[in-house]
This record gives sequence, structure tokens and C-alpha cells, in this order.
Amino acid sequence: MDAVERENADRQKRWAKEQKVGEGTYAVVYRGREVATNRKIAIKKIKVGQFKDGLDMSAIREVKYLRELKHQNVIELLDVFSSKTNLNLVLEFLDSDLEMIIKDRSLVFLPADIKSWMAMTFRGLEFCHRNHILHRDLKPNNLLTAADGQLKLADFGLARDFADPGHKMTCQVITRWYRPPELLLNARYYGSAVDIWSVGCIFAELMLRIPYLAGDSDINQLDTIFRALGTPTEQEWPGHTKLPNWHQPSTTYPKTPLRDLFTAASADALNLLGKCLVYEPRKRISALEALKHPYFFAIPFPSHPSKLPKCAAQVAVRAAEDAEQANIDQNSTGPGVRAAEPGSRKRKLNSPEEFRARSIARRLDFAKQANSP
Amino acid sequence: MSSYGGWLRGKTVKKGAASSSSVNTRSSTPHVQSTSTTIYGGGIKDPSGRVTEYFSMEDQCPVCKSDRYLNPKLRLLVSTCYHKMHVLSILLILMRVLTGVFRCESCIDRLFTLGPAPCPICSKVLRKLAFSPQTFEDLEVEKEVAIRRRLAKEFNKRLEDFDDLRDYNDYLQEVEDIAFNLINNIDVPQTEAKIQAYKAANAALTAANIQREEAYALALKEQEDFDRREREARAAQLVQEQEQERLEREREQNELISKLETSGKDAKKLVAKARLSQQKRQSARASEKSVLSGGMGFGADYAKLLKARTNKAKTSVPDEPHVPLQDDWYGYEDLYVLRPSYDDIFSEAVRKDREGIMRAGGYMVEEAWNRALRSAMAGLELEPLVGLQTEEPPLSAVDAGGDVIMA
Repeated sequence: MDAVERENADRQKRWAKEQKVGEGTYAVVYRGREVATNRKIAIKKIKVGQFKDGLDMSAIREVKYLRELKHQNVIELLDVFSSKTNLNLVLEFLDSDLEMIIKDRSLVFLPADIKSWMAMTFRGLEFCHRNHILHRDLKPNNLLTAADGQLKLADFGLARDFADPGHKMTCQVITRWYRPPELLLNARYYGSAVDIWSVGCIFAELMLRIPYLAGDSDINQLDTIFRALGTPTEQEWPGHTKLPNWHQPSTTYPKTPLRDLFTAASADALNLLGKCLVYEPRKRISALEALKHPYFFAIPFPSHPSKLPKCAAQVAVRAAEDAEQANIDQNSTGPGVRAAEPGSRKRKLNSPEEFRARSIARRLDFAKQANSP
Repeated sequence: MSSYGGWLRGKTVKKGAASSSSVNTRSSTPHVQSTSTTIYGGGIKDPSGRVTEYFSMEDQCPVCKSDRYLNPKLRLLVSTCYHKMHVLSILLILMRVLTGVFRCESCIDRLFTLGPAPCPICSKVLRKLAFSPQTFEDLEVEKEVAIRRRLAKEFNKRLEDFDDLRDYNDYLQEVEDIAFNLINNIDVPQTEAKIQAYKAANAALTAANIQREEAYALALKEQEDFDRREREARAAQLVQEQEQERLEREREQNELISKLETSGKDAKKLVAKARLSQQKRQSARASEKSVLSGGMGFGADYAKLLKARTNKAKTSVPDEPHVPLQDDWYGYEDLYVLRPSYDDIFSEAVRKDREGIMRAGGYMVEEAWNRALRSAMAGLELEPLVGLQTEEPPLSAVDAGGDVIMA
């Protein structure tokens, strides 16, 4: 045993694997505990064996960026170790995601709750951007919530650092409904504004309780956006007709005020939403500017994280768990399975076109495609 | 797909069922459903998507004069010029194929198999596919319904789309005029031209209105689903409660009997005691019920939830005013000032950007400059790897950014 192996074995001993809670495309997620403190953790075991070329790209990205980012609104990578041929990421345990919460009809959102979630999302994102990292896959499903209500950005499988001038980036990132128009038009040079659009879509989804811009194909997505926000003009978005994928649309939609759809939202909220969904990426609000937007300072104050709505099922599961610590139900298919699964691909590969599109960013995903739901 | 089986049994065949695998749940266009007679589409569909065909014993094909008395399987279809003709029923087609007997039984088949041909009654040129099933006895009604249906698709403006009621009424009047002209064959070419002009002028608004209607229909459906689920849940709960009540009563009865049998106490006292406990339980249940449900609809329920939530929000931890940034991550912001522009050979081409592609995509060279400056500032704290004589370990500042060394 050489020094490296010894070090690795030491690390491995610090974490106890308990129960499998979910399986993503390229990883299996287990729930576990830190041996020393008994703190709950999640272990993401990356399947190495099936990729001929070594590790999956997204695993590398995830480790690369999460090792650098330490923030209360970004999921924490506690440790990395290898076991046999697998790579294991030790992450903090987060039990539900915003998608579950939005879908749970028994929960009522106060405007203050939405404000609190938005502030936490922007804070996490601002931290990424301050460290020159684009997340590139923001969606409710990737915003996890901790037991104390803190919201955390997760799944950095598509993240990358800001590109150097003149370097191309792939435009096949971000789940379709949250993808900004410049990526739909195949722009290869973009910036932090792509994440802001996604946050805008999430903001709208929190208010509507249903995905805001839900296109059923990549082509239809652009049409959906134009229908909702009006077809952009050259003044609104200079140069967009020069982007590679631009086709003159057959119908031009008029601009309808956001107020028509978001009838109950405050003026400040709509103002911020409008600034997140500006067509011209350079004019889109930045995360830091958003955090200083009057919306967040207005009454009501953002809800204290501990008071934010949680999934009822989640609460029940947790209560039951705490009651009988030792007896873990192996067949449990409660939300816990979905929860601690930062690498899950729920909304990602649900159509063939999408898979084709994504395969560029996730080149090594073919093996599991057939099995993924 | 078992379209044959569907045909034989006269089942409904879903159009576009083959592509259902890629259908998104959010797809707003409903499936077009038609009867087994899909070859002759059209007709007036009821809400379930079925076409109800008009049928009477006096039916007679105006072309060959065959009638229902001699041919009970007679099926009449209507052309676009609203003249009837008869078509072979599926059963007869099948018989013909199976027996190999080819008789010229169907006027539509006979006249239009070889392509478009003039209508034997009014000599308008028709195609086989232009025939559709008949729903109403009166063909004038049939025509009017078809025309109004067509117009409603294009002319879907609402009162909100107009400045005042007067304009809206004028618009409705115009739509009526168009419908009247089409129904009575007055100035058809001009009217069609008018429709085309309207269509071109109002395409966006029409699309938006269709969108709105679909959204409304969807919302209505969701609301209905929700109400239904709630009703079902409430019914199930009620059944459960009754069952529980019954069990409890049974249990108490048994208890009472066994007590009366075994204990030596006064029977009257025991019975009175049992009755009292029963009453208590019932009143408790009643009050519980009035709190829980009490026949509330969705709105009331939601309001209740909202109220509960608001109350909870008030009582527990107080909300704090917003603080934009809550971390203390030092970004060296105080050590440099980003200038509007730099003499930077690496980004020269990018900044020129004659095509404007960079601009539309949102790439900001300022972000790259900011990053370069910040990295440079962070680098000032790193000790050189060689050339330093001190024996001390690296400073703690380096430790905080320890990843820098590893990367």
C-alpha cells in the first residue's frame, strides 16, 4: 500500500454508506453518515467502468467546480475518494428539491416565500458568477432545499468557467424550458446572462406553479418564448437575426404585458421578472444587480428559511425516520428516493431530439439512455 | 397499430396515434378523433369527437335512386356542394373484397374513383375526399354549421380586443354578413377575399386568441380534475369514517355485553355509562368534522390553507430584511478598478465583431477582463515557488485558497 492508497483508505473510512436512494444516468446515489459526527450525507458513486474513455465529462465538471465553491447556497462537496474502480463524491444531504415543492398542491406559497427562494437562488448564482463559473443547468429540479430551508444550487455537471475571448462554447446546454433564446439560436459566444434567463423562468414558475415557457421541442421552444414575450425586434435585441439558427418566423407576436398572466404579482416582482427575461443578453440583469433590486427590499420581507413550505410527504418520511432510526425500510419509494439525488436527470432526457442535442455535452451518456425513464 | 381490427369492429381510430410516443403532456392541441369511416373525414363532431350521422328510413341516393328499403346498409355522404350520394358501407366493401364480386354499387366510388369529376346534380367539380357524413336532416343547417365553424376559427376577436362596444358590434355585424353571404352563395369570391384579407391582417391576434382559449380550456379542465379528485377523496374519507364508527359501536356493544355477563355491577349503571361515552364520542366527532371539512370547495380550502400558513408565519421566527450578500468571500474588489476598455490584443477581434454575433449572444469581454484582473490580484498573495530563502510554511491566506496550488 503506497501513500496515496493509504490516504484514500483513510478518507473512505470517514464515511459510512447506508442505503441506495436513487440512480442517475452516470451515478448511483446512496445515503450515508459521517462516522465521526453521525451527520447525514449523500454519496454519489460515479460509474467509471462503463465509459471507455475514462470518467464521464459531467463528473469531472462537478468535481472540478464543487471543489472550489463553498457557499451556503451551493451544495457542498465534502470529500472525494475512490473505491475499487469507482469514484465517490461525498455531498451534503439535501432532502427535497424545488420541483417537488412546486408540484405539491397542498402547499401554499406566500409572496414572501417566493422572495426568499429567489434571493437564495440569486445568492448562490451570484457566488458562481463571482467565481467566473456558469452553471448552465438551472431548473427547479436542481435547486435543492436543506432541512433548515436553505436552498442550494446543485448538479454542476454542465458547469464551466467563463470562456476566454474568442473561444467557442457549446450551445447545447440548459434544459429546454429554461434555455435562453440566444442558446436556442445556437450562439457560441455567450456569458453569465444564460443563467439569469433560467432563474427568470424559475421565478415565473414559482408564481404560476406550472412551467412558464414549456415548449415541446427545441423549435417550438423559441415559438413559445416569442408567443409569451412577443417577437423581438432589431432594437430590442440587436444582431439576433445574424445568429446561426435564426429563421424569420412566419407570425410575429405582439408584446403582451406580463401583468396579463401574473395577475397577483407585485409591480416590483414583475419588474424583476421582466429584467431577467430581456431578449438582449447584455441588457439582462446580473445576479448582483438582481440582489439589489427593490423587489427584495420591499414589504413583505423574504420568509425566514426555516418557515418555507416543505413537502408534506417529506416531513412525514423524516419524522418516521427519526422515530425508528435503526429500522430503515429498504423498499421505501417515497420522495426520499428522488430527493437526495443531485445527479438525477429527471427533465433532461425525455425526448429523442433532446437526447441528440444533449449528447454533445454529455458524450458518454449513451450506455444508460435505454434504461433511463 | 391494429387499424384493421379497428376497422372491422367499427371502433374509433385515433388520428396521429402513431406519433403519440413523442407527445408531450403539455401539448395543447387535442387529438382529432373520428369514426371508423376516417376515409370520409369531416362532418360535425360532438364533444367526444364522434360524428353522429343522420339516418332515416326515407333515405334515397339522389343519383341512382337506390333507397334504404332495398339496401338497408345504404350510407349517404354529403359533398361540398351539399348534394347527397351513397357510399358502400364498410361491411359491403369487405364482402366485395372477400367474394371477389365487383358490382358498381356505390355512386361515389363509381363517379370519383378516377379523380375529380363534376357533381351529377350541379356539375361542380368534386373529389372523393370532399364527401363527409351528414349530421342534420336539413342540409342547409349542415352547411350553415360547417360555415360558422370555419368562420369561428378565424374570427375569434373578443370584446377586450376593441376600444368600445360600438366597434365590437360592428365587427360582429360584419362576421354575420360574411356568414350570410357564404350560406346563401351571395358574392362568394368577394367574401372569400374579405376573409383572406382579414386573416392576413389579424394573424397574430387570432393566434393569441386561440392560445388564450386553449389556456382557458386547460385551466378549466385542471380545475375540474382537481374538484373531482377532491370529491372522491372526501367520499372515501366519509366511507372510512362511517366504517370506523360502525366498528367502534360494535366493539362497545360487545364490551357492554361481556361486562354485563361477567361483572357483578348494576346492569342499569353499566348501560348508562356506555351510553354516556358513546354520546361524548359522537359530539367530539361532529366538532372535528365541522373543523375539517364542512363541504368546502377549492376556493375555501385554499383560503383556509393560506390563512393557516399566514398565521404560522406570524407566530414563529420573524422575517428579516433582505441582505443582498451574506457571505464574506473576498473577491479583491478593493484592489482594482475595471476600466471601460483595455488595449488587449487577445480580444481585439472580439471587440471589433463586425457581424455583431458576439453581441447578440451576450458574450462580454468585460467579464474576461474582470477575471484576469481578479486572478492577478489573487496571485499577488502567492509566494514564489523558487527563489525564496525563508523556511516558514506558506501563509494562511494561501491555505484558504489552497485549491489554487492544487489546480
